[in-house]
Amino acid sequence: MPEPKPDRETTLVGRNLVRKFGDFTAVDGIDFEVHRGEIFGFLGPNGSGKTTTIRMMLGLLPPSSGFMEVLGIPVGERPELIRPRVGYMAQQFSMYRDLTAEQNLRFHGTAYGLTNQELRARIDQTLDLTGLRGRRHVKTEELSGGWRQRLALGAAIMHHPQVLFLDEPTAGVDPISRRAFWELLYEQAASGITVFVTTHYMEEAEHCHRLAFIRRGRIIATGSPDELRDRFEDGEVLELAPSDAAEAVRILRRARAREKLELKEIEMYGSLVHLIGPSVRRKKRSIMRELRKAGVNPGRAEIIEPSLEDVFIARMRSAEHD
Amino acid sequence: MNLRRILSLAWKDTLHLRHDWWLPAFMLLGGAMELLLIGWATSRPVTNLPLMVLDGDQSRASRTFVSAVMNTGTFVLEDYVRDEVAIREALARGTIYAAVIIPPGYAEQIIRGESTIAVLLNGAESIPATEALRAIEGVSSELGLAIMLERMGLDPQDVEGFLPSLRVWFNESLSEAYYTTPAELGLMMEFTVLLFAALSFSRERELGTLEQLLVMPYSRLELIVGKSIPVIAIGFIDFLLMLGVVHFFFDVPIRGSLFLLLILALGYILVELGKGMVISVVSRTQHQAFLLVLLVGMVDFMFTGYAAPVESMPAILQYLANIVPAQHWLEIVRGIMLKASDLRVLWPQIVALIVLGLFIGTFSFRYVRRALY
Repeated sequence: MPEPKPDRETTLVGRNLVRKFGDFTAVDGIDFEVHRGEIFGFLGPNGSGKTTTIRMMLGLLPPSSGFMEVLGIPVGERPELIRPRVGYMAQQFSMYRDLTAEQNLRFHGTAYGLTNQELRARIDQTLDLTGLRGRRHVKTEELSGGWRQRLALGAAIMHHPQVLFLDEPTAGVDPISRRAFWELLYEQAASGITVFVTTHYMEEAEHCHRLAFIRRGRIIATGSPDELRDRFEDGEVLELAPSDAAEAVRILRRARAREKLELKEIEMYGSLVHLIGPSVRRKKRSIMRELRKAGVNPGRAEIIEPSLEDVFIARMRSAEHD
Repeated sequence: MNLRRILSLAWKDTLHLRHDWWLPAFMLLGGAMELLLIGWATSRPVTNLPLMVLDGDQSRASRTFVSAVMNTGTFVLEDYVRDEVAIREALARGTIYAAVIIPPGYAEQIIRGESTIAVLLNGAESIPATEALRAIEGVSSELGLAIMLERMGLDPQDVEGFLPSLRVWFNESLSEAYYTTPAELGLMMEFTVLLFAALSFSRERELGTLEQLLVMPYSRLELIVGKSIPVIAIGFIDFLLMLGVVHFFFDVPIRGSLFLLLILALGYILVELGKGMVISVVSRTQHQAFLLVLLVGMVDFMFTGYAAPVESMPAILQYLANIVPAQHWLEIVRGIMLKASDLRVLWPQIVALIVLGLFIGTFSFRYVRRALY
């Protein structure tokens, strides 16, 4: 777990941001502050307003109301001062597919005002950093997903921006490429770049210094992954390793429906089952009995630390009931 | 304005042409090919229209009439038939364009001063039908004159008729190519510029690269200028190429100043560029851009005077024609190439183009800049 590096300097500010599309409110009054060198994660399901927020911060979409600041400059006021200091990697691959990796980088670099000499050095640097040196003359449409992602990140950081916006950067990328990608990101954050990243991958959220859970355009919780776990108010998590997880979930949900068991969450995690509720510890015995009665071996049962996913799902559920 | 950045964008857009090579190939070669075909197809007068004859009289007079019709060169004799059913069928099937029906007793009828010859034309194809009509009318009036003189007992030699001295200026041989190819040339350039301009932003939007471009430190003006450079270059090359085809293959002269023509071509490209850019930001896909260009092009085509002369259009359309840049441009092309017109003659068209250009350009720039938020 990387240590957050709280720095007093605030690089991104959003205050009471609202964006409506007709009757639909995509972003519904969100507030946030991100500090220099921080990796700030926006975690939420599809359609929760993550991309809309990023597009507003980049000045691609005017907000319906609210205030935003990037590097101390109000967004929309002096775009020519913000744009050169910001890097952006969109959700969809947005390099030119019919151009080679090098041609793409050359265009990027020149657009950001690098001189010829700088450009040559930066292109080499970026190709090394992303491991694309051997593929510099390959058209990007021929690169695999992982390589494309790294090229896009390389392009986004080659002009040494102070803020990096990443919109679901590793969607559809294999785990190894994803790991390599995050290592690159850490290096960037360590050198003082502020990273604003949206995701719906839990493991990716774990990598962030600070997180905001976003649901239907509202932030429902913020904090570091540890803080979010510590503040978990729904009780404890009991993990079972039953002989048949799916069957066990069915049995326990039926028992809950008959009000024989008071449990907040009964979720399957692969071959495991997570049970969440107030003082689950004391209900262990009756849970085991219920399963055995139905012919399912409950297997090992232990109280565990809630995972980020437990926290996230519980939060989303309770927001739904409000 | 950062020139290096702008040129970088222009360079990038030019690189795309290597991938989308069919696009410049179509515009450059397609335009030239279209010209070649149009030029060839229309370089000769209408001839060889298939004709059927039903001669119910079989007299010397009837044969004279048929041979006079054939001598016009407009027709080729398809067949002599015996009944009208065959004619009706052939016209319906489209195997003939015209038919002459001579009733029995034609020879006596002329002497009595009444003629009941019927000529049927296939009006479904109006251009050949018009030509056919003109030929038949010519034959009829000549015959009519001859008959009249005969009945008055005069010798044709003794009568000095009304014979105006007819001279055709600017297109001495009345070659269709003279008229059609400069129009085609001007129009193809309009299409090329509109299309390339229309693709400039819609392509980026469709491929999902537009937002990346918009977050780069380009000012909106720089984006528009960078995107325009390749369009202007391609439009101009296209014009030079097609001008070459028109001049060297079809011997259409360039009687006026080539320099003036090229300068005005460049100006006209800028006007159409503005229209194309608006289409480009309105369209979400390249497909949509294509269709919009087609729509705009079709309207402009109407005002080229190609299908019908602008002067014979309804008043309201003539009025509208004034705000179609293509119309002024075609006047300029024809004027310089065929009539050696210079600034003293062409200034109304040039002023019109400048006014329209300023108007379209201002609107376009504001619109595009706002669309590229």
